[in-house]
Amino acid sequence: MTKILNFFNIGRVGNYPLYMVLPAVIVLLLLTIYPFIYLVYVSLYIWPISPTLPRIFLGFGQFTYLFSNPAFIESMQVTINLMVVGVTIQISLGMLLAILLSTKSRITNYFTLPFMVPVFVSPVVVGLIWKFMFNYDLGILNYLLNVIGLESVNWLGTTTTAFWSVVIIDTWQWTPFTTLIIKAGLDSMDPTPQEAATVDGASRFQIFTLVTFPSIAPIFAVALLFRTLDAFKAFDIIYIVTRGGPGGSTYVLGYNIWKTAFYQNQLGLAAAMSVVMIIIATILAFILVRIMKGLMER
Amino acid sequence: MIGKISRFELTIRVILLVVFFLFFMFPIYWMVATSLKNTVDIFSIPPKWFFKISLDNYWYIISDDSGFLKKIFNSSIASILNAIFTLLLTFPAAYSMSRYKTGGINLLMWFLSIRMIPPIVGAIPLFIIFSKLGLVDTFIALPILYIVINLPFAIWMIKSFIDEIPKEIDESAYVEGCSTTGVIIKIIIPLIRPGIFATLVFCFIMAWNEFLIAYIFTRKEAITAPVGVARFITERQILWGYITAGATLASILPIVLLVIFQKNLVRGLTLGAVK
Repeated sequence: MTKILNFFNIGRVGNYPLYMVLPAVIVLLLLTIYPFIYLVYVSLYIWPISPTLPRIFLGFGQFTYLFSNPAFIESMQVTINLMVVGVTIQISLGMLLAILLSTKSRITNYFTLPFMVPVFVSPVVVGLIWKFMFNYDLGILNYLLNVIGLESVNWLGTTTTAFWSVVIIDTWQWTPFTTLIIKAGLDSMDPTPQEAATVDGASRFQIFTLVTFPSIAPIFAVALLFRTLDAFKAFDIIYIVTRGGPGGSTYVLGYNIWKTAFYQNQLGLAAAMSVVMIIIATILAFILVRIMKGLMER
Repeated sequence: MIGKISRFELTIRVILLVVFFLFFMFPIYWMVATSLKNTVDIFSIPPKWFFKISLDNYWYIISDDSGFLKKIFNSSIASILNAIFTLLLTFPAAYSMSRYKTGGINLLMWFLSIRMIPPIVGAIPLFIIFSKLGLVDTFIALPILYIVINLPFAIWMIKSFIDEIPKEIDESAYVEGCSTTGVIIKIIIPLIRPGIFATLVFCFIMAWNEFLIAYIFTRKEAITAPVGVARFITERQILWGYITAGATLASILPIVLLVIFQKNLVRGLTLGAVK
């Protein structure tokens, strides 16, 4: 039997499998590797966006400039702060929500769909709704604060509140994502070790920290890294809500690159920033791939 | 989680769920409500919870003055074309990777790592290249560029659907003299039809909602709905009525599709982690 199948596979398949993968691989290579090489090339020049203006070769000059430029360092700092603070909140809330949604009761089923909606709404729309709700004079949030006797908050007007406003918006949109992944981990868990621990008289806190969490730790790490990488790319909400302000408090790397390239017309400098950005993203992606591989080979 | 919980704890859990439900749903409700108010009601303090429904904002949005319908149309073209391109490239690759383990886990991981590239990084060289080719602000630019965003998701998604079909089914078809093409057309495609639809819908929604690439690669003719909505923020004022009406129109389609395809869409979002 196996012999016949082998015969058929060899006879019919040939190089089929390779040819079937090639179009996808070639298109992606053309759209990623070639542009990447081009990006490195552009980063060595002062490259105005208008093709009629002259390009000047600088070599690594723009990289040395970047690392001595406080604004760029600060923008890195802001990106990392937003990433760390936002992702920590989203992953913790995601854990809580995943546990709540796994409650064995019919009522919880009705909540899953509404909790997914934010992920499927365009970030532009999300940014605009929240910008309206954060509005100092007209916003519903300040109205609600006033109703319970608190002072209006200048949500998008001061450096600290603007930072936290962006965190809130990001949390609103992406907590459902972490929830879904962690919930998948909980759902696919083998219940026997938990039951055994219950029989042995372990407290629920012990069961969670010693049995449940270790077994979902890899998928938890996947959620964490996916979110970290996505938070690293932040642009849309910043562009719509704060435009990097006030005082650079939300001036993330993605927005910085966009502004340098398409607002200040310095494609070369923006390309240099992009090279730095993609090196960081590659390191993060490498860690993620390692964890995913481990998870799949388990 | 643990099987039995007390009635008290169940109550606490449901209350927490309701609080989160309000947190997630209120902004959507507020967007729709604002879009249905007239200008006076939008600016009234305290905000009006009960108001006379006015369709003025929508009349303006669908009028020729705003040109918003054109942008919705552009979004549809870009998203549909991209979903088709992505599927055509993905399906054979996913089939080959599922059945013949082509490229092994490393190829699968290479696709995953493409998803991690910040779009702005790719946008800069591609903008220069597309400018030279005269592709900026054309209907073909976005469908091509969105392949980079959607292909990794689609590969993982379709592969996870094909993986679920037992290999024995293919093999018995081969024994009966079916060719590889025959197996794909007669067996695989009919069996994973829901998965193929979900993948198309997933790519469609991702393309529909995308902003940064659309903002950079369109100028006038090919502007999409999210860029159109963002443009209602003018230097002088923010037109909240028009913005919320446009935002509502731009969100209806993705949300309806989510309701129809929810389970399979989640699988795409989580790269097949959720089964």
